[in-house]
Amino acid sequence: MHRPASIAVTDQPALRAIGVSKAFVSGHLRTQVLDDLTLDIEAGELTLISGPSGCGKSTLLSILSGLQKIDSGSVQALGSELGQLDLRALERFRLEHTGFVFQGFNLFPALSAFEQVELPLNHMGLTRDEARRRARLSLEEVGLAHRMRLRPAELSGGEKQRVAIARALAKEPQLLFADEPTSALDAANGQMIIDLLHRIAVTHGTTVLCVSHDPRLVMHADRVLAMEDGHILSDRRPAAPAIDSHGTPS
Amino acid sequence: MVALARKTLVYEWRRFLPAILAVGFAGLLQLLQLALVLGIFGSTSMYITGSSADVWVGYPGTQSVGSGRSIDADVESRILMDPAVTRVEPYIWVDGDWRGPRETGGVSVFVSGIDTATDGMMFSRVLSPALRARLDEPDAIVVDRSALDQLGVGIGQTATINGHQVHVVGIGSGLRALGGVNVLCSLDTARRLDSDAEDVGPTYLVAKLRHPNEARAVARRLRGDQAFGPYTAWSARDFARLSVLYWLFDTGAGAGVLFLAGIVFLVGAVITSQTLIAAVNGSVREYATLNALGVGVAALRRVVLEQAFWVGTLGLLGASVLGIVLMLLARSQDVPVILNVPAALACIILVMGLAAVSGLAAMRSLRRADPATLLR
Repeated sequence: MHRPASIAVTDQPALRAIGVSKAFVSGHLRTQVLDDLTLDIEAGELTLISGPSGCGKSTLLSILSGLQKIDSGSVQALGSELGQLDLRALERFRLEHTGFVFQGFNLFPALSAFEQVELPLNHMGLTRDEARRRARLSLEEVGLAHRMRLRPAELSGGEKQRVAIARALAKEPQLLFADEPTSALDAANGQMIIDLLHRIAVTHGTTVLCVSHDPRLVMHADRVLAMEDGHILSDRRPAAPAIDSHGTPS
Repeated sequence: MVALARKTLVYEWRRFLPAILAVGFAGLLQLLQLALVLGIFGSTSMYITGSSADVWVGYPGTQSVGSGRSIDADVESRILMDPAVTRVEPYIWVDGDWRGPRETGGVSVFVSGIDTATDGMMFSRVLSPALRARLDEPDAIVVDRSALDQLGVGIGQTATINGHQVHVVGIGSGLRALGGVNVLCSLDTARRLDSDAEDVGPTYLVAKLRHPNEARAVARRLRGDQAFGPYTAWSARDFARLSVLYWLFDTGAGAGVLFLAGIVFLVGAVITSQTLIAAVNGSVREYATLNALGVGVAALRRVVLEQAFWVGTLGLLGASVLGIVLMLLARSQDVPVILNVPAALACIILVMGLAAVSGLAAMRSLRRADPATLLR
């Protein structure tokens, strides 16, 4: 599952936003969510965007991941100008380069953990055997080797989120986006998810961009961006970069 | 490939059940109605399907067996000249007014004058050789068992048709007619019963071929010649179909079938599409997640369409099983039901079309599977 370091470690930032503005219009009300925001996200790091709800952090995530268009400015992901890609090209880009983990786990009730992970791989043009190999490895990596035949209804919340992470991880993406991945989980499970995300950044060289208002995440992030009212308030790197306290099975 | 559509259908079968039932009942309704109509109107082609003739020759423009006009008797020699034809016999149709011995009032009867030879083609499949032989007797007639009450006669009794006396020498079965009563007699008797001075020749000439499967080609060949006055030729199959279709549309039953098909389609499609839409909405976040991961909208649409396909197939399967059971029940109760391949095919197309339209409708609600909505 190790990605060649050459992809992750380049001079260029993995994600770059330049002068990005985004407003939502609801009736006569226009809400400026992002206002002339410029930002680089470095490759192979776990970057955390934190801030109160409504500060625009989720919008920033959806813009950087190509899920939403911007009003002005430009967004580059892995050197591609996202604004110039049409809907199909964006899907293609996401298929090849990105993984997502959402607050809700969004697993199909009918599929086993293994099938949840295998399903997106089927669309990547992989052979059946390769897709299954990756799905198995990925589930082993999140510690669910023994639970992979179970359906979501038979899994705990933490396990479901680990399946969702495995689903994103199995694609071997350069970019992994996580939106409030711990907010539906208790402390222990939340901790496990944070460790996992950080480990993925370290061992796979994946650029992990995580949006959360969960203060527990701060000490695990390589870099923490605090947002408020559509602006970055602070950009800091916690003094001691969190080393995985649970050991890395690499 | 993970079979998302099928696995979801199996796992959440309760959710899809209303759609499967709707499709199934839509199919069943249409199937039974068609079978009934074909059964009832099939009797209008009994003259053709109950006979062993391969080619029918009659007046041009004839719309059903019962609405023929007489043709020149000399056409027979023209037909016999064709090398493919082995035998020709005349068939006379006379519309008659029946006056029975009992108080039945006038009854409209269809007199069929047929060749009484043992190898006669007319009604060879429904008339026993013994009964046929008895028709040789002048003014002898055979009627269907089911018409005895209607005609007010029993075997051996006499009555009049168009003022001429006839007597019942036998009782057959499978000779039911629609809109009247069939009376079988010899060609000579039929000529005597015909009161119309303009009728000089037979109503039809029926022919047997060396190779029955050439019927259509031979009929086409015979049509070309006008030397003996106006006549045309059909293969037995085509003429039978013509007769049934004439009745279907002349009586409005065909319009009824089409009307019901429309209603069934509409109601079925509404229920099925609503069910499928609910199923899509129930999984809209999961679909959106797949799309976020780069699985294209086209692939997601295929999943919905595949679900619609399975719903259609399962509904069809249920309808087939129930339909066969109900048709066997109907047969056992002497209800005329006939199902042929085109009718069955029409039902299958209707049901699968219904499922497809519903799937297309449900596909539209995939638009709500926008991954950006997951980030709020």
